[in-house]
Amino acid sequence: MKRTTIASLANHFQHSRQFFLVAVVAAATALAGCSDQAAPEQQAATAETEIHSQAVNLATADAANADRNAYFGDLHVHTMYSFDAFIFGTTSSPDDAYEFAKGGTVVHPAGFDMTLNRPLDFYGVSDHAFYIGVLREMANPESEISKHEIAAGMTTLGDAADRGRKFYEIFDFMQTERAPEINDPEIRKSAWEDIKAAANRHNDPGNFTTFIAYEYTTSDRDQGNLHRNVIFRGDTAPELPFSRIDSQNPEDLWKWMDSNREQGIESLAIPHNSNGSNGSMFALVDWAGNPLDSAYSEQRMRNEPLVEITQVKGTSDTHPALSPNDEWSDFEIMKLRIASRLESKPNGSYIREAYLNGITLQDQQGFNPFKFGVIGSSDTHNATYAGDEDNYWSKVGLRDSDGVLRGSVPLDEPREGGEVYADTYFNQWGAAGLAAVWAEENTRDSIYDAFRRKETFGTTGPRMKVRFFAGYDLPELDDPNLVARAYADGVTMGGDLLAQSAESPEFIAWVARDAMSAPLQRVQIIKGWVQGGAAQERVIDVACSGGMAVDLATNRCPDNGASVDIGDCSISSNVGEAELKAKWRDPDFDPNQNAFYYVRALENPTCRWSTWDAVRAGVEPRADMATTIQERVWSSPIWITPAN
Amino acid sequence: MRSLLRQPFLWFLCISGALFVADARTSSQPEAIVVSPAVRQRIALLWETQMGTSPSANELESLIAGWIEEEALYREAMRLGLDREDSIIRRRLVQKLNFIAESDPVAEPEDATLEAFYESNIADYTLPERLTFSQLTFGEEASALAALDALASGADADTLGESTMLNRNYSYRSALDLNSTFGLGFASQIDTTVLSSWQGPYKSSFGYHLIRLNSVEPEQATPFFAARDKVVRDYSQANKKSARQRYVENLLENTEIRIE
Repeated sequence: MKRTTIASLANHFQHSRQFFLVAVVAAATALAGCSDQAAPEQQAATAETEIHSQAVNLATADAANADRNAYFGDLHVHTMYSFDAFIFGTTSSPDDAYEFAKGGTVVHPAGFDMTLNRPLDFYGVSDHAFYIGVLREMANPESEISKHEIAAGMTTLGDAADRGRKFYEIFDFMQTERAPEINDPEIRKSAWEDIKAAANRHNDPGNFTTFIAYEYTTSDRDQGNLHRNVIFRGDTAPELPFSRIDSQNPEDLWKWMDSNREQGIESLAIPHNSNGSNGSMFALVDWAGNPLDSAYSEQRMRNEPLVEITQVKGTSDTHPALSPNDEWSDFEIMKLRIASRLESKPNGSYIREAYLNGITLQDQQGFNPFKFGVIGSSDTHNATYAGDEDNYWSKVGLRDSDGVLRGSVPLDEPREGGEVYADTYFNQWGAAGLAAVWAEENTRDSIYDAFRRKETFGTTGPRMKVRFFAGYDLPELDDPNLVARAYADGVTMGGDLLAQSAESPEFIAWVARDAMSAPLQRVQIIKGWVQGGAAQERVIDVACSGGMAVDLATNRCPDNGASVDIGDCSISSNVGEAELKAKWRDPDFDPNQNAFYYVRALENPTCRWSTWDAVRAGVEPRADMATTIQERVWSSPIWITPAN
Repeated sequence: MRSLLRQPFLWFLCISGALFVADARTSSQPEAIVVSPAVRQRIALLWETQMGTSPSANELESLIAGWIEEEALYREAMRLGLDREDSIIRRRLVQKLNFIAESDPVAEPEDATLEAFYESNIADYTLPERLTFSQLTFGEEASALAALDALASGADADTLGESTMLNRNYSYRSALDLNSTFGLGFASQIDTTVLSSWQGPYKSSFGYHLIRLNSVEPEQATPFFAARDKVVRDYSQANKKSARQRYVENLLENTEIRIE
């Protein structure tokens, strides 16, 4: 799909002004499409006048939509250059990954085609920094590195089990003192150069945005996951990415990022899979074990304005043990530490609890190290985004390429002991998620600025859109200029609102469905606050489908009766909403409390990927797994700064 | 013979023999290792980038000692030709040379050159049919039909339709865009021969829509002026490829190649 890029027209106008008038009118009409208020004729007339006077930079000023558009992408994508992806059979390059995101087809190592039903707006290839490109080189029998003892078998990798063994062999080696032996800088430089060049080659301002990126893949001493993706703003990046072999301490990554920034290279890091961190991602102590302080907080927030809330390896919003009163907390919970069978403890591993701890620190010590926004992404190791339940290929190549391997379809022969399904944790994984931003235009600068503002949201795959505003004089819900006025008179997701009176501010939560997915069931506001030194949370339904009213005693919508036929995955028609919108005041608002509010909206239930696998294989869905899910979207929070 | 070639010990003998000969031939006085101010600066800067602070005097001294040792070993390794047998070094050097070969000497190509490139790759600059239109959204089909009547009697479109997250005006949307925004099958309902008057209602994932087409762009090549930025990028990409090709051809022309 190609579209006339407003940016290219704009640039042209800057270069030469004596131009076909018809082109000017066309451009102006395009601009009118972006801001939905003014009629095209008026815009065209204005543009015509302006061009005649030759006094303005017509398109660059107006091309952007001041009300901002929602753009959807994936910032977590591994290709053949990642040590594990290559072991899993992935030979797709960064170029292939970007072509896929723009609507192209990539062949899975198992032989089937992978194509999206519509292109994404932005994409960032983020390969593991350590051993980047090295395993691929080991598979080349002519290379020196192929002669290293750990490379044995790399040229003859076989089935899923063989690849799994090799993965753990390298993974364990990487955690020994010998790790640097194969971390060849020349191989890494060559891979990194190709990654940077591919990102720059595919960046197409106005149509498709790419980011130079990589994954800093570290962990604590007990395999608690501390992985982060580093996203660069510009078209250059340091000669080599900073990896866990440089230092396992994420605070050293921040130092490196700070020093790059001083040299004009801006980047941000996005932690992911806090769910598998065993409490270390949002621990209340630093790497050395000391209590957090304001210097730590400032450095962390300067470098990590966002966190990944959902991806294939589970969702990190909250956990049933942490949010026992949230009926939707038991959602795509991945119980293990990453790449292990060890349990991950919930405390310190989930975002909502981190927000609560953050405002408690703010309340007691005056700093908040966990004041971040959220995005989703996939963490695909196939180079291909994997967030659609009915178009799912999971993410580790030949290890989980079909229902039998990922535990959704019975084995041909039961295992010893009678187990019907493969012994795997891939069944705990989900088809998710998407990173989304509100940005003026689809360009690196505009989208990156949205990351920095935390004007972001995450979805489990569907392209749902969420607007969220807070303020003391917000427009009415049916105001045709709602968005412009709410921006002018309030704050949006990622922002801070100063409590100005004893009265609650107004909140507007507005959600639109994905036209190609299920309708909406409900919109919720999740509130966290500190009262008498203790953090508390509450989930409040604010808009229900079918015009039903929220029960104010329970803060819940009545059941809308939406159902799924798990025999064929069809869903009830005529239940659920295309859009839900609410203006809400907090009846328990206290202007002296530190608090945060964020939106969560739920779709009607649909089949989980594992049920789709079972339906297609003609077998019953597995009894010990959820057969349906409620796809969802989370906004970044708005934080309340107390009045005093 | 094949199995003989696979014997590592035989290889070892051949290589060490070759090294011995090479060593014997070039045993003149080696060039001095010079620690110039530039070298000092580079070493200090590297430390600074990695550690975040500049090295102390002691640190710098031991860094320089390390550099001297490394340089001596590097030179000896090069003199012995150890680089020649290493496919990673080989690939890295080739990559560096490719980079040089690909670097485009012409900063800004002439428009005529770009236009010719554009013409010969016109398929890359061809856009699908695109609709520019206004739309009104209604929850119920009946209200959409009532609004259609009102519009026919001269009602102002701005006063009709519900306020939704959909835009009221869209420009240059392909069928793929429309289906992605409104739902599968939406685009095919629109009669693209009817311009400037309201049509519908058409069902979408959001309800019912009245559409007024302002223009329909047939599938067509993007005019050169509008595609220029992309042409420049594509041209430079293609040029890199052909510059590399020329460079390689030139190299090969001046190199005797014997296949034995």
